[in-house]
Amino acid sequence: MSKSDRVSSTLELRGVSRHFGSVKALDGLDITVAPGELVALLGPSGCGKTTALRIVAGLETATAGDLMVNGVRYNDTPANERDMGMVFQHYSLFPNLSVSENIEYGLRARKVDSGKRKKRIDEMLELIGLESKRSAYPHQLSGGQQQRVALARALAVQPRVLLLDEPLSALDAQVRGQIREEIRRIQLELGITTLFVTHDQEEAMAISDRVGVMSHGRLEQIDTPIALYNSPATPFVASFVGHANRLPAEITAKGKARVLNQKVDISSSAEEFTEGMKVNVIIRPESLEIVSESDESATRGIVALKSFLGPMTKVGIAVEGAPLVHLNIASREVRKIEIGDKIAFKISSDEVMAERV
Amino acid sequence: MKRISLKWPLIIFSSFLSIIIFIVPLYGASLYSFRGEGGKGHSLVNYQWLLHQDGFYPSLFTSLKLAVLAGLLNLILMVPTMVYLNLKGQRYKSLVDFLCILPLIIPVVSLAIGAQVAMPKILQNSEYELVFFFVIIALPYTYRALDTSLQTVALKTLVEASRSLGATWTRTIIRVIVPAIRSGITGALFLTFALSIGEYTITSLLHWETFPTWTVVAAQQNILGAIAISVFSFVGAIALLSVIALFSKKSAQKAEVEE
Repeated sequence: MSKSDRVSSTLELRGVSRHFGSVKALDGLDITVAPGELVALLGPSGCGKTTALRIVAGLETATAGDLMVNGVRYNDTPANERDMGMVFQHYSLFPNLSVSENIEYGLRARKVDSGKRKKRIDEMLELIGLESKRSAYPHQLSGGQQQRVALARALAVQPRVLLLDEPLSALDAQVRGQIREEIRRIQLELGITTLFVTHDQEEAMAISDRVGVMSHGRLEQIDTPIALYNSPATPFVASFVGHANRLPAEITAKGKARVLNQKVDISSSAEEFTEGMKVNVIIRPESLEIVSESDESATRGIVALKSFLGPMTKVGIAVEGAPLVHLNIASREVRKIEIGDKIAFKISSDEVMAERV
Repeated sequence: MKRISLKWPLIIFSSFLSIIIFIVPLYGASLYSFRGEGGKGHSLVNYQWLLHQDGFYPSLFTSLKLAVLAGLLNLILMVPTMVYLNLKGQRYKSLVDFLCILPLIIPVVSLAIGAQVAMPKILQNSEYELVFFFVIIALPYTYRALDTSLQTVALKTLVEASRSLGATWTRTIIRVIVPAIRSGITGALFLTFALSIGEYTITSLLHWETFPTWTVVAAQQNILGAIAISVFSFVGAIALLSVIALFSKKSAQKAEVEE
């Protein structure tokens, strides 16, 4: 199966809501996924991302709004007639069927003739690199292999849209990385429109064309991973995407604040802050830099924590009147710093984001 | 202090109990059933008498036929119902659980008379009405066998996976759910079959002749023949159920072993 075998579809969610009694699981979600694009929905548990995916799959019904595929309304189309391929969070292979029978399942349901079915199974097995496991049963496969077969099974039917519901969350870290890259490779190779739900920001940022950050059933921001990280639209996005320090500050003038005895500029925001107002500012660890202790304008603190993260080490600095401040320092430089050392640092970012306390 | 293992004493005790309860009476009955004419010597005369009695084959055939039909009807009714209850109808589960226990609570006489009155005329005049009664009396057991089995599989995920791949509900149940809960289905079939083939009270109250009712009448004519009937019924039932169990085990193994 190649790109030319399929017509990539446009997926649109227009004001889609889902209420469970008084609980708004999804509140007016608007997303358009372009043909061949991979969009991730990222957010904490209960933010509505899985509900959105399930509505697209036809496994949940929208309370309001429209689901469109290539301009056609799909709200009332049953799940089995939607032509969506879905990979689930939990292992979902049919235990009584072998790998090839699992892949064949959707093709049989669509009454594809046996010659074409056999050809498609071979293509799918080649695509996921599991030709040698065609006769194995799910319990004879590792978790990673099972999810690859689940992906092949979903793709075998040439779906209009591929839906991935946290497909990596049950896998261990190393396998997760491999499968993540494999999903992206296959998605690009086939050019299939994909909606990917995850609570893991690293996963979302690594393989998505765009990431939609969700909170309380609403879409906070949808943008490319780089834009999302560098220009978060809301404090929630700033704190949820990447790591961030949330530090108490005071507004000193319009667009200005004082935090940790340093002056910073506040980035433009819908919120109006007045002079003297207590706020929290959100500063990324890489926006803080260690400076010489002789620097009069620096903030001083004591090293309270060192977490080795490979090339970088996260250092926690205890500062009077503030929560622990985290900095990322190159691991080769951090050797000189010990817990209990006095240290001076400055805010290097041009602008920081602020939110009401 | 060394812990005393109770494993072997329990095995010996349960084996002893089995011998007392099952094997001794069966052995005794078998000895009597092989007695010759006038109670002397050993022969197959009582079994020959049994096989040549009027109504033996028709009643046995009727019982087997009704038991098979009851087993199938029970599965046709209960598998989709239990799937629905476990998937979407959790709030109705306690109600259905209660309804399924009712056949154990309601006296058989009330059940037989009451249910027969409610049955369509066409069924009231047919021995096939017994199939429905057999299904009812088996409900408490089939409900539990299927429910336990369904709770051991990731039902929701499997159903959603099947549906998202384009399968209809019928295909999903036949190709995905039934194989996944094979042990529960076998158990339900096993219990319905066993209950149906041995059911006497309702059949007798409704004046139908099945193997158990025929047995009671036939047994009054020949005491050694009656014992032969008992041994035949017991061994026959065990043999039939063993075939079902063996078939189910083989098909389960077939699914587990690599092609």
